[in-house]
Amino acid sequence: MEIYLPVAEMSVNWLILIVLGTGVGFLSGMFGVGGGFLMTPLLVFTGIPSTVAVATTLSHVTASSMSGALTQWRKRAIDFTMAGVMLGGGVCGTLFGVWLFALMRRQGQMDLIVALTYVIMLGSIGVIMLRESLASLKAYRSGITPSRRAVNRGWIQALPFKMRFRQSRLYISVIPPIAIGFAVGSLSAIMGIGGGFIIVPAMIYILRMPTNVVMGTSLVQIIAVTAITTVLQATSNYAVDIVLAGLLVSGGVVGAQLGVRAGAKLRGEQLRLLLACLVLMVGAGLLYQLIARPADVYSLSEGVP
Amino acid sequence: MKRALLAAFLLLAAPASAEDLVSGISQDTIQITSNYTGTDIVVFGAIERAQSAVGRAIVVIVRGPDEPMTVRRRDRMAGIWVNRDAARFEGLPAYYYLASTEPVARIAPREALARYGIGLQSLTPSAIGSHHDPEPFRQAAIRYHQRAGLYVENPGSIDFLSETLFRTRVPVPAGVTRGQYNVEVYLIRGGEVVSAQSTPLFVDATGLERRLFNMAHNAPLLYGLACVFMAMLLGWISSVLFRRPA
Repeated sequence: MEIYLPVAEMSVNWLILIVLGTGVGFLSGMFGVGGGFLMTPLLVFTGIPSTVAVATTLSHVTASSMSGALTQWRKRAIDFTMAGVMLGGGVCGTLFGVWLFALMRRQGQMDLIVALTYVIMLGSIGVIMLRESLASLKAYRSGITPSRRAVNRGWIQALPFKMRFRQSRLYISVIPPIAIGFAVGSLSAIMGIGGGFIIVPAMIYILRMPTNVVMGTSLVQIIAVTAITTVLQATSNYAVDIVLAGLLVSGGVVGAQLGVRAGAKLRGEQLRLLLACLVLMVGAGLLYQLIARPADVYSLSEGVP
Repeated sequence: MKRALLAAFLLLAAPASAEDLVSGISQDTIQITSNYTGTDIVVFGAIERAQSAVGRAIVVIVRGPDEPMTVRRRDRMAGIWVNRDAARFEGLPAYYYLASTEPVARIAPREALARYGIGLQSLTPSAIGSHHDPEPFRQAAIRYHQRAGLYVENPGSIDFLSETLFRTRVPVPAGVTRGQYNVEVYLIRGGEVVSAQSTPLFVDATGLERRLFNMAHNAPLLYGLACVFMAMLLGWISSVLFRRPA
């Protein structure tokens, strides 16, 4: 049951990793997110060094996003123009993130930055999603169909460099998509996530893209960002473990497909409510670890940082 | 190295009539394969020209390759625990297992133990980088390795098969670092090392594990691309396999 991970330099139970991959894959398929935000903390919990966990989770996200994106592509539900523009910001963000990651590792603050970023991101996104999904559930119960406020884009409309996104039926400035791409790219490198749980709300609430293309477009963006970050992490931090990646991915792609089927049985608002609860739970757990007195205030890292 | 020289010197200097030590290990290489979960080696030895067993102690030490490490202390700042002070150590082993006939504190005085690096408390870094008192950081490093099962002091774990023949079983756990290990056997009488022997033990990955590790470090670009390719391929395969019959 044990398998030796050549880069992490440790033996782990491979069955646990496959189950972990499948479980996270299931949730990611169900909610349409990569699942990196769950996978990284869980891997760290099983004793895998956080640098390896962050860098290797990305492959898991690439695979489950690939699987989902192909399904969306068959439905023609991908806005490649939007994905391309966002990726421009994404590549710069990734480079910045990997640089910051290496810097933080030298300073010994990597774990803190990762944990803090997680708590802030998960906390704020969880609360926003919770409020939104509760409001629309309430609206659904009282029989009012919520109208998309397509006209009210406020400050977004005022920005220059407008471009037409045919598939999304949008005519907006390229600045917000590039900025979102940059933010997600840098978070991807620091947190080991694809950033689906940031891109999806950003596309819906900031860019106001139609929901049917949001999923496919964000997946394309995630595949590209995680693929680039994996290569950068491999070349600059030597932190990607291919055996670990293989195990997670094998479980993940199966779980993702099962998750998509399970998700189809639930309403969008219900899904978002569940996802919001999940996001808040992970965030609260990480916050507790930051606040609670550690068992040993000393920690050790091997090698010269 | 210093210890090895000291041991060699002792061997040469020992008068012909004194007690002497012959020792060996069950295997001189450990291969880490994909299903490696740790193993045991047996260290055995014999005392030649043995004198009384009273006042005599045997110590067996398996010492892993030295590994630079950084110990950090967290302090509470604005409600959260943040890494503040740090100490960098060089020359502490990645693995240290000690088996002895009795607790090390009873075998010899502190200075003698420190000279030969016998016992966890004798583990001293060869270089320290710190702005603070390094002692609590050193203690923390020892604690950390003890928790991980990488620093072990196991008194009373040497079996005597006869008056002069002994053996002990040394675990080499799953989390060990690759590299050259040293198996040191000491014969101590009246608090002084009478005889000592040192044998190298090699721990290395083989086959696929070794190739993957080498590739990750020597051809990281290719390795990273391979990871991405594998992930995309598996993602594609799964989406084809699970495609709903239209």
